[in-house]
Amino acid sequence: MTLYEGKTGFTYVVKGIHLEQNSITRRLEALGLNEMTGVQILNRKRSGAFIIKVRGTRLAIGKYIAQGIEVEEVKKNA
Amino acid sequence: MPKHTEEKEITVGFIGNPNCGKTTLFNAFTGANLKVANWPGVTVERVEGSTTYKGRTIKLIDLPGIYSLASYSIEEKVSRKCIMQENIDVVVNVVDASSLERNLYLTLQLLEMGKPVILALNMMDIVEERGMEIDLHRLPEMLGGIPVVPVSARKRTGLDVLLHAVLHHYEEGVKDRVVHYEPELEAAISRTEENLKKYYGELVHSRWYAIKLLEQDEEIIQYYPKAAVAADINYEKQIIHQKYNYIDEIVEDTLFNKESKAQATDKVDKYLTHPVWGVPIFLGIMALVFFLTFTVGDFLKGYFEIALDWFSGAVSGLLIKLAVADWLQSLLVDGIIAGVGGILTFLPNIFILFLALAFLEDSGYMARVAYVMDGIMGMLGLSGKAFLPMVLGFGCTVPAVMATRALEKEKDRKRTILITPFMSCSARLPIYVLFADMFFGKYAMLAAYSLYLAGVLAAIGIALVINHFDRGKTEGTLLIELPEYKSPNARTIAIYVWEKVKDYLTKAGTTIFIASIILWFLLNFNLQGMTEHVADSFGAEIGKILEPVLRPAGLGMWQIGVALISGISAKEVVVSSFSVLFGIGNINSAAGMTELTGILESVGFTALNAYALMIFCLLYTPCAATIATIKKETHSWKWTLGMVLFQLVFAWLAAVLVYQIGGLFL
Repeated sequence: MTLYEGKTGFTYVVKGIHLEQNSITRRLEALGLNEMTGVQILNRKRSGAFIIKVRGTRLAIGKYIAQGIEVEEVKKNA
Repeated sequence: MPKHTEEKEITVGFIGNPNCGKTTLFNAFTGANLKVANWPGVTVERVEGSTTYKGRTIKLIDLPGIYSLASYSIEEKVSRKCIMQENIDVVVNVVDASSLERNLYLTLQLLEMGKPVILALNMMDIVEERGMEIDLHRLPEMLGGIPVVPVSARKRTGLDVLLHAVLHHYEEGVKDRVVHYEPELEAAISRTEENLKKYYGELVHSRWYAIKLLEQDEEIIQYYPKAAVAADINYEKQIIHQKYNYIDEIVEDTLFNKESKAQATDKVDKYLTHPVWGVPIFLGIMALVFFLTFTVGDFLKGYFEIALDWFSGAVSGLLIKLAVADWLQSLLVDGIIAGVGGILTFLPNIFILFLALAFLEDSGYMARVAYVMDGIMGMLGLSGKAFLPMVLGFGCTVPAVMATRALEKEKDRKRTILITPFMSCSARLPIYVLFADMFFGKYAMLAAYSLYLAGVLAAIGIALVINHFDRGKTEGTLLIELPEYKSPNARTIAIYVWEKVKDYLTKAGTTIFIASIILWFLLNFNLQGMTEHVADSFGAEIGKILEPVLRPAGLGMWQIGVALISGISAKEVVVSSFSVLFGIGNINSAAGMTELTGILESVGFTALNAYALMIFCLLYTPCAATIATIKKETHSWKWTLGMVLFQLVFAWLAAVLVYQIGGLFL
């Protein structure tokens, strides 16, 4: 699944980033969004923009980016 | 790096992630009043300052905030070039300790560059508040033994220790091998280093160049094309990944009680970035900002007017007593005091506006605006990030245009630069305040609001049209860090507002001062020398040429033509011109306004004409400083002049439409 299909409040693990624009991919990686990194969805809008938390930092990302991030759900730990 | 041990000066480069408190720290050292805000991308150009410590002069350079030393954005290129090529002796890497994990990525890259690095652990107070702990012994060990100094830029602690570290470590090299990559990658690095040596001789920091070549870094490949690896092999992903693996190790070893305390930011964000209420809340906040600007500003204004009246009277009296020549009296009282003084009375409005904007920026809300507005901006083919320069445009267009650097793509930048001048800047505020007060009575604030709205709508409309013909491919590519909310810092806000007030005063003392003198000259002289009749002056001659052009917009008075031309020097000059043109001593006072309204109404200038004038002032050519900035940012006279021409025509069309259509109903 992609991050775009994710639900608010849930945490996912990044499996891969597939974006046409290489520069955005590299930028995401530089921000610490790599394979196996945990991502929590804090907020999302109907337009498809998300607020996510990665490595303790909040990032706002657009729909196109959210659609290009492949993730897997993590079982919720109490 | 050549080692000449000058006893005099050490150059220190401040570098760090956006919003890590770098500029606040820089200000704490230099006493410079640089602008600080709680959103990424504030420092767009390098700034220099200096300080002394133990008799040594230390030159400080504040570089734009960056996340990495790749070369994808303008800021990254500026910072990297500065560290690579200039004689920076020490790099002070400012790190937000409360977000260590992300910040260390840049640190690891800096270490690879081989210059002495000192880690300034900023925001330790926040770390403590949250109950987190950092092992300050283990951290330097894992970073190749560089000095790690805890500081608090806001509370101004640890500053001396940092300078001490600078003094003691500026000559020390660093171990350039803090991160050990996996064998395959290390082998590739060694191979590339050998190639570099073979083709280009012995290089300082060849490991760094080798790594950059393996990352397919465009700039470095241009310098050392022969050592570049085949274009289809890109190690960048692996290099980033392995750096982060090492960061994971560091964090594991040095950071304790991560996120033990619930964070208030997420709770506030539930409301402020709400999917439905986010936009209305933002609009409400902006409405409040302008409400305060007009009401509180107007309340304070009264005192300024009294002071100006008194001053003008006193100077006038003194000049008569001294029997100063008539022309000099006229120049001083009708030219300079009327022009410059009239502008100074708007200072309270400007002050309140910037105070409000400072609160918004320092609290951390501004970055959220990019997220909140992303949907709407998406329809215009721009990312939500492009909205930030537009909001800044309410303050001043010049920094707003520079702030477009945060946008990655050239095309987006140009689009944003094109529409940003339509956001009513603070210089247009005096025009609205004056004419709305004069002609709209109790609806004055509504009239002024409508102009702000008209500006925003014009910007959106133009962006929509452009996007229709040339669809932007940036939809959904928003990417911005949202900082923690914090209670605004009094010192930061004071610096910010004082900077703006100072700018305004400087402008009044320079541009407006000179414009007033030139205007006075143009209005009091003709080819025969000094003239009694304004209508025979140079100014009138120039204005009369424009009269027919401006007539369809209801602005067919030579005085308006002159005021609008002068307004290109700075938009406030439109107002000061009216003072000088009509010989009104204190234009912003009740008496001054009644006088001017009387004169204008006697020639058939009504509320509709006033509105057309305000629309024209809103939309036409931005001030000279903005034009110069746009030229600098776009590197194109052709583009800049095209934009100026477009705005002129657009303003004229809009004013004509307003006047003609309005005329049908009134």
